[in-house]
Amino acid sequence: MAEGARPLESAAGAQIATGSPARRPFSWLTFLAYVVLILGVVQAVLPFLWMISTSFMTLSEVNFGYVLPGALRFENYLLAWEKANFGLFMWNSVRITAITVAGQLLFCIPAAYAFARMNFYGKSVLFTAVLSTLMIPEVAKFIPNYLTVIWLGRLSNSLLGFGWINNWPALTVPFMASAFTIFLLRQFFAQIPEDLWDAARIDGAGHLRFLVSVVVPLSKAPIMTTVTFAFIGSWNALLWPLLVTQTDDWRPVAVGLTKFVSSDAPSDFHLQMAASVMMIIPILIVYFFTQRQFTEGIASSGLKG
Amino acid sequence: MRMATSSPARPVPGLFRTRRGRVILENLTAYTFLFPAGLIIFLFGIFPVAFALYVSLHRWRRLPERYTGIDNYVRALDDLAYVFFFWLAAAALIYALVLLVQFWKSTRGQSRSLALLLPGIANGIAILLVVRWFFTALPVVLDIPQRLLGQERVPGIFISELVASFQMPEVVAAANLALLMTVAGAALSYLLSRWLRVGEAGASLMRPTIATLLAGLGIIGLEFVTRSVSLAVAEAQAAGESMPLWTQILLISVGAALLVAAYALWTRAAREHDDRVFVLKVLATVALIAGGYLLVAELPRALDNADRNMLQSYSVTVMFVIGTVPFQLAIGLGLAYLLFQNIKGKAFFRMVYFLPYITPFVATSVVFKILFSHRPTSLANVILTSLGLSPQNWLLEPRGIFTLIFGPQLPDILAGPSLALVVIMLYTVWTYIGYDTVIFLAGLVNIPGELYEAARIDGASGWQLFRHITLPLLSPTTYFLSLIAIIGTFQAFTQIWVMRTPGSARSVDTVSVYIYETVRTTDPNMGYGSAMAFVLFVIILLLTFFQNRISESRVFYG
Repeated sequence: MAEGARPLESAAGAQIATGSPARRPFSWLTFLAYVVLILGVVQAVLPFLWMISTSFMTLSEVNFGYVLPGALRFENYLLAWEKANFGLFMWNSVRITAITVAGQLLFCIPAAYAFARMNFYGKSVLFTAVLSTLMIPEVAKFIPNYLTVIWLGRLSNSLLGFGWINNWPALTVPFMASAFTIFLLRQFFAQIPEDLWDAARIDGAGHLRFLVSVVVPLSKAPIMTTVTFAFIGSWNALLWPLLVTQTDDWRPVAVGLTKFVSSDAPSDFHLQMAASVMMIIPILIVYFFTQRQFTEGIASSGLKG
Repeated sequence: MRMATSSPARPVPGLFRTRRGRVILENLTAYTFLFPAGLIIFLFGIFPVAFALYVSLHRWRRLPERYTGIDNYVRALDDLAYVFFFWLAAAALIYALVLLVQFWKSTRGQSRSLALLLPGIANGIAILLVVRWFFTALPVVLDIPQRLLGQERVPGIFISELVASFQMPEVVAAANLALLMTVAGAALSYLLSRWLRVGEAGASLMRPTIATLLAGLGIIGLEFVTRSVSLAVAEAQAAGESMPLWTQILLISVGAALLVAAYALWTRAAREHDDRVFVLKVLATVALIAGGYLLVAELPRALDNADRNMLQSYSVTVMFVIGTVPFQLAIGLGLAYLLFQNIKGKAFFRMVYFLPYITPFVATSVVFKILFSHRPTSLANVILTSLGLSPQNWLLEPRGIFTLIFGPQLPDILAGPSLALVVIMLYTVWTYIGYDTVIFLAGLVNIPGELYEAARIDGASGWQLFRHITLPLLSPTTYFLSLIAIIGTFQAFTQIWVMRTPGSARSVDTVSVYIYETVRTTDPNMGYGSAMAFVLFVIILLLTFFQNRISESRVFYG
């Protein structure tokens, strides 16, 4: 799957080899390179700047096509928060993310450990089967999965007294195990030195003890990456939540924003921008804190969350 | 192996103290570890493919109604539906044959290893029987909620219904047969691998098992096609019309086969040196023309009564791919190559480029929706008017972009993507540039620096370095990114869902959006949606397969 997947270790070596002497005289080529790179920055950032600027305007300023607001109207944010019922949607997204991440850690860590460090019958067949699910596109799955979730919801309604549609299980359970997470963690677990396992065994630890008290503490970085991916995945998801929610009770913020833009305030552009900014901020915070793992996670795995 | 070298100090339960016991314990622990994740991945990752096929063969609006065979596919694809299933069956059979040949080669003619064919076939049949059992029980199980509708709610009634549906006579019969075959297969595999002393019996059993499985599916598929065709032909005859379905299947298959043959001959010609090049190229051209003629003549006739909206969604998707993938890859590669030079603030550039990709698509789509709104004061229109051009309707504009540029006398075929779609394509390129840059940068870093040094010493220019070292060595990354991008486009949903307007009509609806619409209306049609989703799934698999084959000859895996 991941043809682009190569470890990044050789990065430093390659750069030393290709790099020219540290001080170079001014060259037009380098200058041109910087110009192009900065143009790239401008195109990447411009929509964001425009969004922030617009989020502070009055509606008439937007409609007159102003570039900058006359005054910073922070009350837009309060208004958008109230009007879009953003408190509920944000809280829903947080709840959904937390449940999904907890489930992923609980289910994927043991599975990844089994694939990385245990011998059992049918290991390669099962691992191939798990990886092959990465090839199956989302479009091919969402209708049958919707039907499955409806059916499971009826089952749980008669057994446990709560349904799945419009409720947390439909939004979280299908994502509690992901082939990508298992693959990512397995790659890391497999690199943990064999000596540690031997030492743990001599101390009388079994696989579960070893996993909980040695492997997991050693794997904070990849687990952090997993958490980040799960967070971004459940924060951004639109198609599936749109399908399995008909009421606002558990709707995540992506659905909330779509609804706000299309039906609640279709022409309040300044409020739409304020709401969009509020949706982006949590992602930006996570991005800036976990940036290294994040970028390298994508670069070395070649897969997006 | 680890087990034998170091013995545990902790006392283990008596049963597991022997060597074999410890192996069993390790197996049990591993399966316990795998079970929850495995269950979820099976239920929501593998089973849906079979379930989609199952649903698509039924009239199934909100609830399952009745088996209708190929009808949903005929509604979507008209006569091409028969060709589709014929090809699926044929592909399964051909792949089974390929696997058997590979198996034959791997045994090197030794009859002892060849004996593994037997348990392989047994296992394949066992899997087929298990699947059969599963799908015998499925309709009964799916029907439980309806049966419970009129009844009083008693705790545990669902479970008793569930148990009862697995105790139906035909389900039990299927279960017994499947169980019998599974036990027989396992016993045969075990005995033969002991007798032959094959260390890795599992690996050598894989090929015959999968070959049997595929052959079984292929035969079932062929039977299904034959039955559907004769049904349709009989129906047409009753109405007094003729329906040459088999001729159509044959002609389209031959046409497609000729195209593949033309490609194979052409690539073959590139590898030959002497006069044969000319002959091969002539043959390839003849095959191309003949195959192309057959397809051009037959396909429109086969698709005569197909779902117009679906066909349009495919043409939108293709335009989307053509209009986004090359641009985002080129810009991404350019930026990555610049960043790879001796540049200060590399980390900063990379971080900023990545921003559009990591921010939620919903939020940035809303931004683009307003930037490109039809108001005369939207940013896009302000820029147009300041350049002396007339303002546009942007996302409300269903007319093609070339029609807008060259005037309405342009024929419809050349109209190109609608202006609304162009805006969405622009957005998509904008989001993916950063992603492509980061992945390209990782690929560039992996190219050994000595190659550049050596080439510089030989006096290569900067462009030559790029053309003859960077590009070929980067081809695996390029291949990977284009695959991800094409598959991603076929699935594109969020940005289109947010930016589509009633004004743009269907001109921006890609296949995914159209499939979603058939399910999420007041009158959903699960069966039809599943049929279209299954066709799309096969197309994406096919794309992956072909891109793999083509890139094998082009991609340089350094």
